[in-house]
Amino acid sequence: MKEQLMEILEELRPDVDFEAEKQLITDGVLDSFDIVSLVGSLNDEFDIEIQVGNLVPDNFNSIEGMMALIEKLQNED
Amino acid sequence: MINDILLQLEKAALKYKDKTMFSDGQKALSFEQVLDKAKRLGSALTRFTDMRSPVAVMSGRNAYTPAAFLGIVYAGCFYAPMDSTQPEARLKGILGVLEPQLLIADNENIERARSLGFEGDILCIDELFESEIDEDALSARRREMCIDDPLYVIFTSGSTGAPKGVITSRLSLCCYINAYTEVMGIDDSDVLGNQSPLDYIAAIRDIYLPIFTGASTFIIPKQCFVMPAELFKVMNEQKITAVGWSVSVFTIAVKVGAFEGGKPMYLKKVCFSGSVMPCAVLRVWQENLPETKFVNQYGPTECTASCTYYEINERVSDEDTLPIGRAYRNYRVFLMNEDNTPTRQGEMGEICVSGPIVALGYYNAPELTEKSFIQNPLNKAFAERIYKTGDYGVMRADGVLLFKGRKDRQIKHLGHRVELSEIETAALRIENISECCAMYQKEKELIFLFYTGSATVKETATFLRGVLPGFMVPRKLINLDEMPRLANGKTDMQKLKEYFK
Repeated sequence: MKEQLMEILEELRPDVDFEAEKQLITDGVLDSFDIVSLVGSLNDEFDIEIQVGNLVPDNFNSIEGMMALIEKLQNED
Repeated sequence: MINDILLQLEKAALKYKDKTMFSDGQKALSFEQVLDKAKRLGSALTRFTDMRSPVAVMSGRNAYTPAAFLGIVYAGCFYAPMDSTQPEARLKGILGVLEPQLLIADNENIERARSLGFEGDILCIDELFESEIDEDALSARRREMCIDDPLYVIFTSGSTGAPKGVITSRLSLCCYINAYTEVMGIDDSDVLGNQSPLDYIAAIRDIYLPIFTGASTFIIPKQCFVMPAELFKVMNEQKITAVGWSVSVFTIAVKVGAFEGGKPMYLKKVCFSGSVMPCAVLRVWQENLPETKFVNQYGPTECTASCTYYEINERVSDEDTLPIGRAYRNYRVFLMNEDNTPTRQGEMGEICVSGPIVALGYYNAPELTEKSFIQNPLNKAFAERIYKTGDYGVMRADGVLLFKGRKDRQIKHLGHRVELSEIETAALRIENISECCAMYQKEKELIFLFYTGSATVKETATFLRGVLPGFMVPRKLINLDEMPRLANGKTDMQKLKEYFK
C-alpha cells in the first residue's frame, strides 16, 4: 500500500520529500488543490470513499496518517 | 465619505473600546489595544524613518500584524508586507525594488529577516509595540500628511521576473472601503472571516473595514482552507457573518462536499473575486445559504483591489456566466479599442479605469509605470490618468459589464495573479533546460511546464520551489524531446494543450 501511495504523492508533488515531512497540512506544504486531487486519486486507487469529515490535518499531515486513514476506510467496507 | 484612516481609528477606539478588533484563534486585540500598539510602534518609527518612505514588514498571519501596519501609517510612512514563507530569492527581489530604510519583523520571523543580507536597520515588532507613545512626534508627522500619501506597496508577479510593487494612496483605500461597505452593507454587527494572506491585496478589506465600520475581523488559520470541514466549524464557532474570499475557496469547498458535513450558518454577506466564479459552484452555495447575499467583484490591484461589482439576485444555473457588473462609487470604468477610440456598446474593448482609486504606479519602476498608467487618450481637455487593465470586456445595453478574458499571458491561479513568462524565466535559469513553455489548464486549475533538456522533473520542481512563491510552481512538469513548432518557428501551444487530456 505504501508503494502505491508514494507513487501517487510523487506524481502529485515531485518537489516534496514525503518520507521526511510530517506536517504537510499544518505547515502548508500541501495546498487545497493538492488535497482535492489527492482525495480523488486515493478514492480511485484504494477503492475507498473519503468523506468531508475525514478531511482533518491528522489524516493528511504525513504518509503514516494517510495510510491509517486508508486502512480504516477499507476495513469499514 | 470617511477619508482619514487615523482619525477614524481613534473614533472607533473611543466608541468600541474593548470590543475585539482582530483575532486569530490564539491572540486577540481590542480596538483600544490596536490604537495603543499602533501609536507605540509609530512613535518609535519616527526616529528611524523619513516621512513618505517605505517600511518592509515580515510578520505572521496573526492579530498583531494589522496593528504593525497601522503603526507605520502613524509614522507617515507606507508599508510593504513580505510573506516570510516565500523563497529567499523572492524576498531579496522585493527588498531590491523597495530599497527601504527599515525592515521590521516579529519574533517569529526576525531570524529569517536577518538572513536576507539586508543592509538597513532591522527592528523587532514585538519590541516596538512596547515603546513609549510620543504624542509630539506623532502630531508633527500628522500635520505633514496629505490625503494622497502612499499607504502600502503590494508586490505581484512581473512578466520580466522581477516582482512588481503596486503603490496605493490613502485616499484610494478610503474610496474602496467606503464603496465596499455601501455595496455589502457591512456594519458593527458583522464578524469578518479573513482568508487572504495579509501581504495580499484582498486583505485590505479585513484590515480596514473594522476601522470604518466597527466590525471585527477573525483571521482564519491557513490550514482551514485546505481542510474545509474545519473551515465551517471555525466559522460557526466564531459566528462569522461576512467574507470576501478568493473564488478558489468556494470551489474547493464544493469539490470536497463540505456542505455534507454542515454549513456556515451565520454567514450572510459573501463577496468573491480573483477569478471567474463557475456558476455550478455558486449554485451549490446559493442552495445551502438561501438567505445570503452574493456579490461578484472584479478588478486588479492597480485599481485598489477592484473596479466593478455584481450582486447576484437570482438563482444561477450551471451554464450561466456571471457579469462583472457596474463600477463601484468613485471608480470610472470604460472600454477602449486598440486604436484609442471608444468601444461601442456590445463590442469588445479593453477595460480601462480612472478616478482617485488608480494606484500611484509601480514602485521604483518609472518606465513600467508610464506604460501602464497613461493620460486618457479620450480626454484632450484636462489631466486624467487611467490604468489599462489588459482585460477585455463587453458593455451590455443595461450598462452591466461582461468579462471576456486577458490580452496577454497573465493568468489568475488560486486567486493570485501569475505571469506565465515569469515561470519560464525562472525555469530557464536551470542549466539543463534549453527551452520551455508554461501553460494554464483553466478547467482543472493546473499550471503546466513543458520543457526540453536533461533536467529531471524532480530537479526542476525542486529548483522552482526554491525561487518562486508556492502558488506559481507548476504542478505538472512535462519533459519533451523537442518543442512542437508552428510553420513560423513559434511554439505550437495547441499541440501542447493535448497533454491536458
